[in-house]
Amino acid sequence: MLEDIDLVIEAGSFVALLGPSGCGKSTLLRFISGLDQPASGSVVLSPEANAQEPGTRTKLGFVFQDAQLLPWRSVLDNVALPLELQGMSRTEARERARGPLAEVELGDVHERFPDQLSGGMRMRVSIARALVTEPSVLLLDEPFAALDELTRQRLDERLRKLWQRRRMTVIFVTHALAEAAFLAERALVMSRRPGRIVLDQRLQLPEERNLDLRTDPDFVAQTALLYGALSRHGGLDDAPIDP
Amino acid sequence: MKHSTLRDFLPSILPPALTFVVVIALWEGVVRAFSVPRFLVPPPSDVLLAAWSERAALFGALLTTAQGAVLGFLLSASVGTTVGLAFSLSRWLERGLYPYALFLQTVPIVAVAPLLVLWFGPGLRAVSVSAFIVSVFPIIANTLAGLRSVDPRLSDLFRLYGAKLGDTVLKLRLPTAIPSMMTGLKVASGLSVIGAIVGEFVAGFSEGSAGLGITVLAAYRQLRTDLLFAAVLLASLLGLLLFALVSSSSTLLLRRLRAPG
Amino acid sequence: MHLDRFLSTTLLALAVCFSSGCGKKSQPKPSSEADAGALPQAKVVLALDWVPEPEFGGFYAGREQGAYKRHGIGIEIQGGGAGVPVLQMVATGRADFGTVGADELLTARARGADLVALFAVFQTSPQGIMVHASRKLQKLEEAFHSGTIALETGKAYAAYLKKKFAWDGVKVVPYDGGVAHFLADPNFAQQCYVTSEPIAARQKGADPAVFLIADSGFNPYATVVVTRRELLQKNLELVKAFVVATREGWREYLDHPEPTNALLGRLNSALDAGTLSAAADAQRPLIENADSKQHGLGSMQQARWQTLAEQLLDLKFLDKPASVADSFQQL
Repeated sequence: MLEDIDLVIEAGSFVALLGPSGCGKSTLLRFISGLDQPASGSVVLSPEANAQEPGTRTKLGFVFQDAQLLPWRSVLDNVALPLELQGMSRTEARERARGPLAEVELGDVHERFPDQLSGGMRMRVSIARALVTEPSVLLLDEPFAALDELTRQRLDERLRKLWQRRRMTVIFVTHALAEAAFLAERALVMSRRPGRIVLDQRLQLPEERNLDLRTDPDFVAQTALLYGALSRHGGLDDAPIDP
Repeated sequence: MKHSTLRDFLPSILPPALTFVVVIALWEGVVRAFSVPRFLVPPPSDVLLAAWSERAALFGALLTTAQGAVLGFLLSASVGTTVGLAFSLSRWLERGLYPYALFLQTVPIVAVAPLLVLWFGPGLRAVSVSAFIVSVFPIIANTLAGLRSVDPRLSDLFRLYGAKLGDTVLKLRLPTAIPSMMTGLKVASGLSVIGAIVGEFVAGFSEGSAGLGITVLAAYRQLRTDLLFAAVLLASLLGLLLFALVSSSSTLLLRRLRAPG
Repeated sequence: MHLDRFLSTTLLALAVCFSSGCGKKSQPKPSSEADAGALPQAKVVLALDWVPEPEFGGFYAGREQGAYKRHGIGIEIQGGGAGVPVLQMVATGRADFGTVGADELLTARARGADLVALFAVFQTSPQGIMVHASRKLQKLEEAFHSGTIALETGKAYAAYLKKKFAWDGVKVVPYDGGVAHFLADPNFAQQCYVTSEPIAARQKGADPAVFLIADSGFNPYATVVVTRRELLQKNLELVKAFVVATREGWREYLDHPEPTNALLGRLNSALDAGTLSAAADAQRPLIENADSKQHGLGSMQQARWQTLAEQLLDLKFLDKPASVADSFQQL
């Protein structure tokens, strides 16, 4: 499914992973997180060597495409979950959960339940949960795909600010070129199955980014580059339909 | 907030109430008009009369059967959920023991009841075991299904953080399984009454406490069909009552725990 | 949060419930009267092989009027149902005494259960065949030449009747314990207990004629009190006292059935006063006869047991001849 992936990602960098459906972006993310094992090859996470066991060495956060909250837990308890699973007491975990919730600006909905929140809010809770263990690596798999454009852009902005504050390594899988360009320092474009990296581009964009950036000519140029790589290696026109 | 008045309930009460009145009237009318022998089909008036004149005995019988049914149900609930959980944790266990659990469902309880009397003792013991046997399987099956219905992505989440098995069971699988378990309990509640009554047919009764099953048996023997109908009616009501109890507890629980469904 | 805590507490509660529930689920209720007598009460269990009906009246009379208590026995009477395995219960010690038919006792003994008969309530078996008087049958044999008859075909008496009479032209159906079919069909005949079905049928306006099986030559003792030999050997005094008290109880019931009938009516809500007194009357001549007047209520003769054993052997209910001397004990 994946072929010849040989990547080095610097600590603290923000990397976007792009590619057509089914190319294996999500699979790659699962390999990195340790949820699945590749048939050959290995994933090495610094500073600890060889973190194949999920959750044991390098602290990881994962944000899924679905918020994946436990419906029977309140917002605060959902965010506290990872800490509880790693052995912390319930009270302490709940205390610690307040911080990330404040960071995503959900300080006033602690005792609400997921079915009482909007899609965007649920996603923010999911992000807060991913941050609660203070991960050095944050993985996101098309987290905002199900949200409307406006919410999506707002969350993009929030995410970038979070990253600037905390400086963990972020690997962000997305379909949306503009989003990738807005968020990342480096963009990786994958081809159709078997997925190979066909473009590894450092984005020439300013450090401080806001929503106006999207109309900036530099931005448009960068996006065009990505689009070119994508369409050459994964577009609909020359593709036989994936089985 | 608007208070619900009787008028709000009327649309849901009226149709079944009307149907009930019509059925009773027809029943009474047909029996009288065609002079149907009263020992074959007693008119509702006979049944009511019998129920009233034997009300003390019938009430005692109701309580006795209720004891057996409730005891059997509680046994099913505890054993059933435990076994379901055990099965979910060990494929090996499940493969080995599931056929026996299934066997409990299919064994003809009437044939087995004398053995139950022998093994467990007459009266309440045999009756509650009979109720248990008849009602345990739905609980096992539904608990197992519920535990297996965990969203794999949530499983991923737990795995990501290296959750221990105990945490996964307590914090993920059981909460997911609760709606299914409630369904199983609801099904089992009605079945436990049936099991108790069938058990009573055979197992008899302890000193001074005849259950509804014995009342039916004795009434049939003496051709007191009116009394028989009254006892059968009470048995159905008992089953309904138990079902309603379990059902409303389950709804309250699900609402409070905000489990899905 | 609420959910996790709730779940762990529930699991714990279930575990406790389950483990304690594995033990005894109910204690048998002790006998109802307060201990006014000076004797310490030995607790015994008597298992009946049917629901409480007048055929067991003497036992209840004995309990209510204090006969058992006077002899130092706290009796618990276990009312039965459609399938209570009385023989096995007595054999395994679940019950100390039980009521069975004499033929059942002999077949059980042949299979290795060492049970002993102590007291035979019915000198004459109340088993009968009930037909409509309108059929004007002169002999029982005629009932097997037409119409329908409901029998428990596995029973010894049915085998006896089959051997003795030619069953030809009659439709045999299973016996279901009631009289509904009898009332509906004038050509319907069925097995009956003289104390029960004919009375119920008469109450509903039918006119049954009853042929006693005993009159055709098959007359096992009925409602026989049995116990296991082990109890007889270990505690002869207790067993003796039980038999004496039973005799007193039956005497009481035969002489004054009304109070006990009232109790039976409460235990068995399907029995009304009329049925109860009719049954008590119908069974009197079957319980008290020349033999019982001479040797005492419930007494048994070896000759009768011997005849029964021979009949059962002939009907292939027994594989080999049985020695009946140790099947019963006169106390």
